[in-house]
Amino acid sequence: MAEAEYYKLHALIVDDFDSFRVSVSKMLQDFGIQYIDSAVNGADALRHCKSKSYDLILCDHNLGRGKTGQQVLEDLRENGHLNRYSLFVLISAESSKSIIMAAYDYEPDAYLTKPVTTKALQQRLSRLLAQRARMLPIMQAIDNERWDVAEALCLREINGGRYANPCQKLLGQLYIQLGAYEKAETVYRDVLEVRQLDWAQVGMARVKKMQGDLVGAQQWLEEVMNTNPLCMKAYDLQAEIYREQHLHKPLQDVLQQAVEISPLSILRQQQLGDVAMMNNDAETAANAYRKTVRLGENSFYDRIENHAGFARATLALFRKNTLMAKSLLREAIKTMSELEQRFGKSLEQKIETQLIESQLFACNGEMRKAEDVLRSARQLIATANIEKLPITAEVELVRAYATVGQKTAADELTQELLERYEGSEQDLEKLDALLEEPASQKNRSLVAVINKQGVACYEAGDYAGAIRCFEDALITFPNHIGIRLNLVQALVDKLKLEFDAGAMDLAISTLAQVESRIVTTHDQFRRFRQLQDALRNLDASRRR
Amino acid sequence: MMNDQSQIHAEEAPLDFAFVLASSVHDMKNSLGMLLTTLATMMEQSPPQNPEQEQTYAVLEYEAARINSELVQLLSLYRMQHEHLLVQIDEHHVIDVLEEQLARNDMLFRTRNIQVRVNCDEDLSWYFDGELIGGVINNILVNCARYCRNTLQITADIIDNQLCIAVHDDGAGYPASMLAAPHEVNAGVSFSSGSTRLGLLFAHRVAGLHRSREQRGYIRLANDGILGGGVFQLWLP
Repeated sequence: MAEAEYYKLHALIVDDFDSFRVSVSKMLQDFGIQYIDSAVNGADALRHCKSKSYDLILCDHNLGRGKTGQQVLEDLRENGHLNRYSLFVLISAESSKSIIMAAYDYEPDAYLTKPVTTKALQQRLSRLLAQRARMLPIMQAIDNERWDVAEALCLREINGGRYANPCQKLLGQLYIQLGAYEKAETVYRDVLEVRQLDWAQVGMARVKKMQGDLVGAQQWLEEVMNTNPLCMKAYDLQAEIYREQHLHKPLQDVLQQAVEISPLSILRQQQLGDVAMMNNDAETAANAYRKTVRLGENSFYDRIENHAGFARATLALFRKNTLMAKSLLREAIKTMSELEQRFGKSLEQKIETQLIESQLFACNGEMRKAEDVLRSARQLIATANIEKLPITAEVELVRAYATVGQKTAADELTQELLERYEGSEQDLEKLDALLEEPASQKNRSLVAVINKQGVACYEAGDYAGAIRCFEDALITFPNHIGIRLNLVQALVDKLKLEFDAGAMDLAISTLAQVESRIVTTHDQFRRFRQLQDALRNLDASRRR
Repeated sequence: MMNDQSQIHAEEAPLDFAFVLASSVHDMKNSLGMLLTTLATMMEQSPPQNPEQEQTYAVLEYEAARINSELVQLLSLYRMQHEHLLVQIDEHHVIDVLEEQLARNDMLFRTRNIQVRVNCDEDLSWYFDGELIGGVINNILVNCARYCRNTLQITADIIDNQLCIAVHDDGAGYPASMLAAPHEVNAGVSFSSGSTRLGLLFAHRVAGLHRSREQRGYIRLANDGILGGGVFQLWLP
């Protein structure tokens, strides 16, 4: 870009380091830039960008307390305070990508490594500005939805222009957006013929996916992940495919891989928490949500659901494995207590939060507090002018009753809810988590299928297979007494053939869980007693 | 999947060395940036009056540049060993990468009165990680600034379908021990000469991260450079 054009630019420098701002500002002045503002931290930068549109933002990654440079960029893009013509340059002290790890949805236009010297900055800026000037007509055509113009300009640049590569990227995306998948495929194939570049491979995978060829998409993605295991875009597309296919188990697997490589992405942690909850994997969910709470501190993507999710997952973990959840309880209690200050709350949210808090206190052995909070929540419900609570809050109310030991109240409310939501499949599915046997059609048949498989294995003498089936079913329906007893029965018969300490322990702990829940009037109570005797006999005969 | 309670707290381990390293590098680089800027201002305001002063400025400039490139290497090598190092191969114009590193070291060359010539087609483009290769070039330039007399020549060509970036100098050439095993870091560590060869190890590792089909990148040192001194070559498939 000609020197003369620098003077028109509006620039913003963001760094907490005072002398850095001054020295970069001086450099920009030397280039001829007249309008230069500076900001000392993320919040200050956002304020500036809100009131004025900048052509160039030079932002340090490490801004002390508060947002990082990357978080500033995310916020600007999400809030629409950064148009696509402006340049965002992220500056950092070390080799920049590594900290950032391309782990986020928004990438800056350029990275610059400290120390920044006048000549290096000038050289980089003039290159960026030249590219921007060249791409400007294409961007404008896209913004004005003049697709044919944008296409023609891209093609012209691709055929011998200096910015062929970025234009190929852009054109591929454009074709996909317009549904011209074959044309997009041609663009990517041309690139791949010369060199296996991961963005083109991911592009091919997307084309295949859009054409409905999921196997083809899969193959491309596997290839990318093989050659470049750090290509996060490949994991994201893979996750997108599994999510659309409702394949929750593989979805969780791919997200787990992704967060292991790049643990700082709050969005992926959030997705992992959500899907792990669906898969009844409370441990993974609790850990993922816990990270979202921490990463959310200064992030645009901080959501109240992540905080509540952390508490819910901790409680779910507590129901399954008390010991493991213990260490998270205190943090969950703290998270919930900070919720109001952080997000403000509607009355309904306040009620739900208190119900969750009450359970957390109870699990943590603070019964007095648990009862107090529950009482306050009930008062809120009574005085509130809400027609009815959302079903999620009702479920928490049942759980709160149960955890503080008010069993009758819990049972009565459960019964009432079952009647209220009779015939509403979706709501019944939510209630299933509370019940011994599922009320929704979907979960009923699911239980029936797995149970039937288990019984078939059992009858064929395949005890190991039967045990696997019943254990699987219990992950989804932990309160199901019938399946739990089936599991014990398969274990007992296996133990009769051959003693196995692990199986013995599992049988004993499973029966103990049933004992804590079953009442003498239960129609399986006799069977429960019989199995208890059988297990005792086994244990006694072994000791003799 | 985590199996036991202890793992939930694993991330709270007392000291994460990578983190400590990264944050102290950050601070050091901020200071270094200030040092360089202040130095540039000083030289502008009071240009050297005699050869001695000129020499003093040159030393300051060179040592600052060296600290910087050592810091970058240290961190990158640590990453290669202990975690994934993100390699992002894309098409770049070679001239852009070369010019960026020359601009970065502009003051260094000026204070040492070194002429740098570049022979690289404006339109030559190739596939590599711009940031990592930039780091390698920077490092070689800083090193050459010390060992050349007054001229450097950088060339970039495609030879047998590989990109060859070469840095020729008019110095005394590389010592025999280095020619034999350029990247063996322990072979020639000499604290008296101030060379730990970290730079060549770094260059060797970065080159090796560049692969295409069956080929891998590599470095080569020779003493038959076009300026009569040493030549460093970086080959990328």
